[in-house]
Amino acid sequence: MRALVIDDSRTMRRIVAHTLEELGFSTVQAGDGQEALDVLESGDQVDLACIDWNMPVMDGLTFVTQVRSRQEWRSITLMMVTTESEHGQIVRALAAGAHEYLIKPFTPDAIRDKLDLLGLLPLEEPV
Amino acid sequence: MSIAVETDQVYAITHEVFGAMIDPEPGYLRPWEGELPAPVDPLAAWVDVHGELAGRAAVICETAAAHDLARALLRMEPGEEVTPADLVDAFGEVANVVGGNVKALLPSQGTLTLPQVAAAVPPAPAGAPVHELALDWRGHPLAVVVWLF
Repeated sequence: MRALVIDDSRTMRRIVAHTLEELGFSTVQAGDGQEALDVLESGDQVDLACIDWNMPVMDGLTFVTQVRSRQEWRSITLMMVTTESEHGQIVRALAAGAHEYLIKPFTPDAIRDKLDLLGLLPLEEPV
Repeated sequence: MSIAVETDQVYAITHEVFGAMIDPEPGYLRPWEGELPAPVDPLAAWVDVHGELAGRAAVICETAAAHDLARALLRMEPGEEVTPADLVDAFGEVANVVGGNVKALLPSQGTLTLPQVAAAVPPAPAGAPVHELALDWRGHPLAVVVWLF
């Protein structure tokens, strides 16, 4: 499986990507929603997108809305990974089409649990 | 205006951030004993909250301690060189996650700015902070400061 990690923080992208790779995903990264759309437009086949909310250029909520408006990207599982933890924000993201919501700070186990809930685990772990 | 966030809540958030993202196990972050020494070569990271109830959350420590924080966050080896870009990004992300969780405690929703990193936090519109945590992270003095405007 392939995951797209979208966060303006290179640090956070590295942490999320490393965790996903340990779970058997291959990863591609983007620094904002527009870069992420460019990755999808390029034809990269992505199964999961982990999306920060607050980013320059295009925020995570706009990215979710854009992805959900395109039939060919319907199969992509969308998980917000963000500090935005107010109930209203979570409802907005889920209403826009996000499947899951993970609040920072998180542990690797928290990511694993969310992916398990989404039916994206277990993957064969890399050797 | 009454204070919408308690000191204990800020401490709990900071503890959770360090426990989940920075340290491999709990116990590396504790209250500083006595008065926190003023940093000689400070580095500060902060985010602002804009909205009906606005504020700022900042993390301030010695630049050397910020390097150690970045190494820990990025799972680098002790002594491994942290690039200036990684230092700003990693240290800023610590403030971002602390600030984002403080924002969630406010009674009204607001928006969070992107993190900023500099030698000093700019003067806050409301003057004195409402919370100043004096902390000891692996022997480094570290302050977490919250203003509500």
